[in-house]
Order: sequence, then C-alpha cells, then structure tokens
Amino acid sequence: MVIAACVAASAWGANAAEARTDLRIGNGGEPQTLDPHRYNLRLEEAILNDLFLGLTTFNASGDIVPGAAASWAVSEDGLTWTFQLRQEGKWSDGHPVTAEDFVYAFRRLLAPSTAASLAHFMYPIRGAAAVNAGTAPAAALGVRASGDHELVIELARPFPFLAERLIYPTGYPVPRHVIEAAGDGWTKPGTMVSNGAFTLHDWRPQAVVELRKNPRFFDAEAVALERIAYYPTSDANAAYNRYRAGELDAIGNFPAGEIGWLSKNMPEHLRLTPLVSIMYLVYNTAAAPFEDARVREALSLAIDRQLITARVLKSGEQPNAGLVPAMVPGYQSALAPAAERPARLARARQLLGAAGHTAEAPLEITLRYISGGESKAVQLAIAAMWKDIGVATTLHHADLKTHFADLRQGEFQVAQAGWFGENNAQHYLDLLVSDTGDVNYGQFSDAAYDALMRRAYAEPELAERLALLAQAEAVGLAKHPVTPLYSVTTRALVHPRITGWIANPRNVHGARYLAWR
Amino acid sequence: MAAYLARRGATSLMTLLAVITVAFFLIRAAPGGPFDGERRLPAQVEANLRAAYHLDEPLIAQYGRYLLMLGRGDLGPSFRSKDFTVNELIASGLPVSLNVGGFALALAAGLGIAAGAVAGLRPGRRLDRGITVAAVAGLALPPIVVAPLLALVFAVTLGWLPAGGFESPRHVLLPAVALALPYLAAFARLTRGEVAEALAAPHVVTARAKGLPARRIALRHVLPTALLPAVSFLGPAAAALLTGSMVVEEVFALPGLGRHFVQGALNRDYTLVLGTVIVYATLILAFNLAVDALYTRLDPRIRLGR
Repeated sequence: MVIAACVAASAWGANAAEARTDLRIGNGGEPQTLDPHRYNLRLEEAILNDLFLGLTTFNASGDIVPGAAASWAVSEDGLTWTFQLRQEGKWSDGHPVTAEDFVYAFRRLLAPSTAASLAHFMYPIRGAAAVNAGTAPAAALGVRASGDHELVIELARPFPFLAERLIYPTGYPVPRHVIEAAGDGWTKPGTMVSNGAFTLHDWRPQAVVELRKNPRFFDAEAVALERIAYYPTSDANAAYNRYRAGELDAIGNFPAGEIGWLSKNMPEHLRLTPLVSIMYLVYNTAAAPFEDARVREALSLAIDRQLITARVLKSGEQPNAGLVPAMVPGYQSALAPAAERPARLARARQLLGAAGHTAEAPLEITLRYISGGESKAVQLAIAAMWKDIGVATTLHHADLKTHFADLRQGEFQVAQAGWFGENNAQHYLDLLVSDTGDVNYGQFSDAAYDALMRRAYAEPELAERLALLAQAEAVGLAKHPVTPLYSVTTRALVHPRITGWIANPRNVHGARYLAWR
Repeated sequence: MAAYLARRGATSLMTLLAVITVAFFLIRAAPGGPFDGERRLPAQVEANLRAAYHLDEPLIAQYGRYLLMLGRGDLGPSFRSKDFTVNELIASGLPVSLNVGGFALALAAGLGIAAGAVAGLRPGRRLDRGITVAAVAGLALPPIVVAPLLALVFAVTLGWLPAGGFESPRHVLLPAVALALPYLAAFARLTRGEVAEALAAPHVVTARAKGLPARRIALRHVLPTALLPAVSFLGPAAAALLTGSMVVEEVFALPGLGRHFVQGALNRDYTLVLGTVIVYATLILAFNLAVDALYTRLDPRIRLGR
C-alpha cells in the first residue's frame, strides 16, 4: 500500500506545472435524462445544474442566491412572487432568456404529456395540480410574464420555501425555440441549447457526459473550468480504483471500508460531509403489533442512536432523534430530551408487558431493509438492541425497488426508510400527514398532527410557520409512528488542488465555482 | 446443406420468439415498476407516465404492441434512459462488448490451444504439469475475483494500465485478460486431453513405429483430429465472451452491453432488458448454428438431415 500511495502521488504531481482547466468527475451512475423536466435523480441534478440556470440557484456553500432572476419580491400575503430576470441573460445560441421562456417551461413541466416525474415539486403554484392532472388548461397556471424580464408566480397557498424549491431542475427554463424544432431529441449533444455555465458537448451512454464552458453565461468571466467530464461510476470499487489511478479528479462514491485507510494515508483527499437527510424506522400502524402505540414506543426507546453512528457506521453520521435533521437552519425542535438508556429500557419493558408481550410470549417481528452497503450492520445492531427488551427480530432484505414496493403495499411490520432533499423542516414533516399518500408508508393518521400541519401550511410568516411545525413534530413523534435514527454522511474524494469545493448540507458543488490551484 | 441450415434457422427463430415471450412476461412479474423509487410519485404524475409508455394497457395488448414494433426492427424507447431509444443504447454498447470480447476470444483460443498442444505432446513432463496446474487455477478463478485484482495490481499499484473506461486499446487489455482466463484454461485443458489421447491412437503409434519424425507426426496426424473439440467449443465461448460480461464491465467501467443489461434489470427498464436479451439470444443461436455448420465440414461422420 505504501507503493500505491507513492505512485498515486507522483501521477497527481505530474500535472502540477500548469493549472488544469478540465475536470473528471465520477458521478455515481448514468443519467436517465438531461431534460430538466423529466429528471429524477441526484446525479442528474449535478449535471443539469451545470447546464442550466433557474430563477434562483446556490453558491459554492450551498446557500440560495439569485440565478436567472437578479432579484425578487414577495407580496404581504405570501401568495405572489415577482421575479426580475437578468437583462443580459442569454441561451447558449445567443437568444435572450425571457420571462416567456419561463412561462413556457412551467407549462411544459406540468403538461400531462410531458410525464414529468417530479412535476409535483411545483404544485405550490396556483392551478399546478389541476393542470398536471389535465383537468385545467395550461393557461390556468399561476405563472405569467409581465414584460420581457418580469415573471410573476402566484401560489395556491403561502409557501415561504419557494426560492429554495426553484433551485431544482424542475424550475429551470428550457429553450422553446429548440424544443419545438427538435422535439424529444432536443437533449442530444449538438442540439441542446442551455442557459447555464456549461453546454452539452458529448454524451455516450454508460461512457461519459462531456460539458464545455458556455461563453454566453452571464458570469462566464468567473468560470475557470473549460471542460467537465461526468463518468457514470455505478460501481463504487471501480470508481475508487479510477480515482486512485489518477483517472478521476473527484468521486462521490467509494467503498465505506476504505475510510480508515484513506483517513490515514490520503486525508487531504477525503471529504466526509453530513447531508441534510434522515434515516428512520417506520412502523406499519395499520396492523398488529404496531397498531399499538405502546409497542412502537417501546421499540423506539430501546434504540441507541449514538451506538449506531459511532460504533457501526463510523463515517461521521449525526444521530438524530427528531424527524427533521438537526442541521436544518432556523428550526428549533420542541422534542423533550431523552432519558438515560437503563431508564428507557425499563420503561420499554413495562410498555411491552402492558401491551401483552411478556417473556413467556415474546414479541416476534420482521425488520425489512434495503440490500447492500452498510445497512445490514445497522439492522443487526438494531435487532440486538431490541433483544435487550426481549423482542425477537427476523431480518429481511430486498433490493431498493422491491423494498419500497413492499412498503407502499403495507407489506411490512417495521422497515428501514430514508428521506432527503430540501433543507427545510416542512419537507420532512410532510411525511406523516395522513393524506400524504404512499410515502407515509406506515399509514400514520393523527388528527392533532394533521391540524397543526394544516395551520402551518396556511401561515405566511416563516417564523410562525416553523413554530407550528416544531409543535407538530413533537405531537406526532409522541405517537411514535417512526423512529428517526440519523442523518447520513456523504463521502467524497476530491483532489486537494481543486478549489471551490465547499462542504455544505445539500452536498451541491456547482462546477462554475470549481478551479485548479 | 442449404435445407439443413434453413430448417435450423427456422427452429432458431421459434426459440427466439419463445425467449422473447418468456422474458417479456418474466420482467413484468418482478416486483416494483420502472417508475418506483424512494419518493413515491403522486397518482396523477404516475398516471401520466404510465400512459406515455402504454403501461396502462392490458398486458397482452402491450405484448402485441411490442411484437409489432419488433417486426419493424424497433426495440422501443428505453424506460430509464429517456433520451435514448433501446436501439441507440445497444448500438453504443454492443461494439464495446464485441471489441473486448473479441480480443478475449482470440487470447483464450490462441494461447489456450497452443499451451494445450504443447502440454499434450509431452505428457507427464514438467512443462505439461505446469500448464495443467495453471489451467486448473485459471478455471477456478472467475472474473469476479481476477478483474478487481488485475485493476488493483496493474492500474492502481503499478500504474501501467488504465483502471477503467473505454478510450484506447490500452483500456481493453485488462478486461480482456480477466474475461479470457477461464476460457483460456478451458481451451488448454480440452486440447491437452485430446492431443494426449491422439498420441496413443493406433495410427499415430503406427506412424511412430514407421520412424516418421515427431514434428511431422504432431502436425499431420495428431493436431488435425485433436483440435476438433476445441473448434466446437469456439461456439459457446464466442457467445459467452462477445456478449459482454456484466462483472468485467462493471469493474472496468466499460460502456458495454452487460452494463446496460444490469442497469436495465435493476431499474425495471422493460424494453432495455428485452432488447439486450434479444441480442444475447440471437448471438448465441447464431454462434451455435455457425459451429454446427462448421462441424459438419470438419467431421464427415456427422450426417446432415437425419
């Protein structure tokens, strides 16, 4: 391994003479599409964010900043958002980016024929759900242009997180003049026109997606990179080998088992960043034994989160007792602090006994989890913790698709689940609202929780809304529909001479901010 | 011969149709669908998607629609790779697999037969024993073990060859070796056994008794008959190597057919899985047919048409 480190170091050192302007990224998999309205995956977000620019965007630290809109204003009732587009905004073919382009884009996203799988991201807009369902005409959508560079978005109800929602590709403009000429083939290299810092140069499926700097980008002067190659590194070992061999400059996935070696031998390459996310256990509240809140509480009490993160996972995961990740800004959890573990275990045994599960007739359950990765070790640890209160746990694993198909059909007792995405509390607490649908896997339904959430939805003031959300979280978790466990860590290897790669909870790293030292 | 081939061709087509039918219904029976993920889609969004891909029709109607499309040489749109058709994906993946597989096949057959012949002509000698042991080891080491080792030693540690990708002939070397090893070993063992056996055959013993030089005996009397089984093994070996290996393509990040197949299966990309299955099945049937035809030429004892 010493030899390996030396060879690797010399390979990297060879390029030290001049600053490079190309970047080779292991992107974790093949994009399913580069159409911003049809996208569905994080790894597509990374590429699309380099190609396109929404009304808002994020800076190198992941904070929300103006994008294609230079500024915006919100009406007092929180229902009308007015965006002023940049006068100098241009498509990569020289056409100006206008408010009409955004109107076209939002209508296209929500048209049933587009079959956009993330169309519901824009349901906060007035009329969006009806337009997407085909029950209202496109004109019913609350998005209109008032002049070439002023865009007005009207909401169905106050949604203070709209500026954040607009950073996702579902909110990106698309070039009407190209799509109407090229149809579905508009995303092909040579045809695609975009308004971001880079343009699509080449795309060979399962081989590479290549981008080139867009000289017409409004901030092109600040963009250092000329070429970016995104490689679909679906195999973590292969990605790791290619990084170690100096064939890739940054990778977002590598085998967890290598962390020990890396932190000793290549610490300046290793980036472990907590991701705004929550891993949790969900109980099927519609069937025995977990229709009984006492049983759910007992199992929740027996969990030792610290042990899972510090002894099993060991990559800097953050234990999280609430459903809202602790790193979400501006949110004050109203949950009571937990008691010491012996007291919790005693209480758990008491609750199980009261629910009729005794040492003679112990509770027997099946815990479902997703195959692969470190998840088995976590589930084994959980089974051991439950053994401490006399619960016999059988483990059952399946691939991701099968796992969630089972969960949706209610074919589970208790199961592993996770949620990530936005950096606001509502995104997580939506999960337990009774009419949320399938992602409320355990079919939890609580009138008090629903009422608090409905009040929060109607509240235009952010601070007031957050207070209501915190109340809802405390009321909901008191019934233990889920046991929150921890926030995951994203691990990446990034060449130490790359600048502008700043750790942030969204784990977003726009290539326009990256450069070689 | 022509009638024989025509009949065999017709049987192959029936087999292909059976494979398509079984694969079509099998992949749809797998739990989960192409649009399932961690985030559940709202009912309306899912309905829009299902309508766009005709998944809202009865299964038998979808099957009929698929066969009609196939008749036009159209493998349909990919469910997962929304910006490509299955035809486009296969056109991009197949050449990569053929390239790596072709190199592996040449390596396996060339080196394997040569090593087997050398060993078989001197049975019991040290060289023979060495080759036999190496061949057993080669058979026992599947690509899933060899490929990561090769990558670790020759790419990561020594830095001689690329660890992955498909950009130059150098990128093909390691995956081809990993892919070839078990087949190289199989060719060597097969040839060695046949050669050793042929050496003991009455006509060879006679030739030797008549004082013919060893070189002439080997080239004229031993090898021609001893190579027949190796030729017939070329068919299945070619089919297996040329269609791409999922393991080797994953380890070396090759954009080949095997990778499309794995990603397609994991994502319930119905059309992509079916498309790759059709390509696999067609190649295997074609190679078997070719070998059968070749065999009838090499071995007059095989009678046609019975």
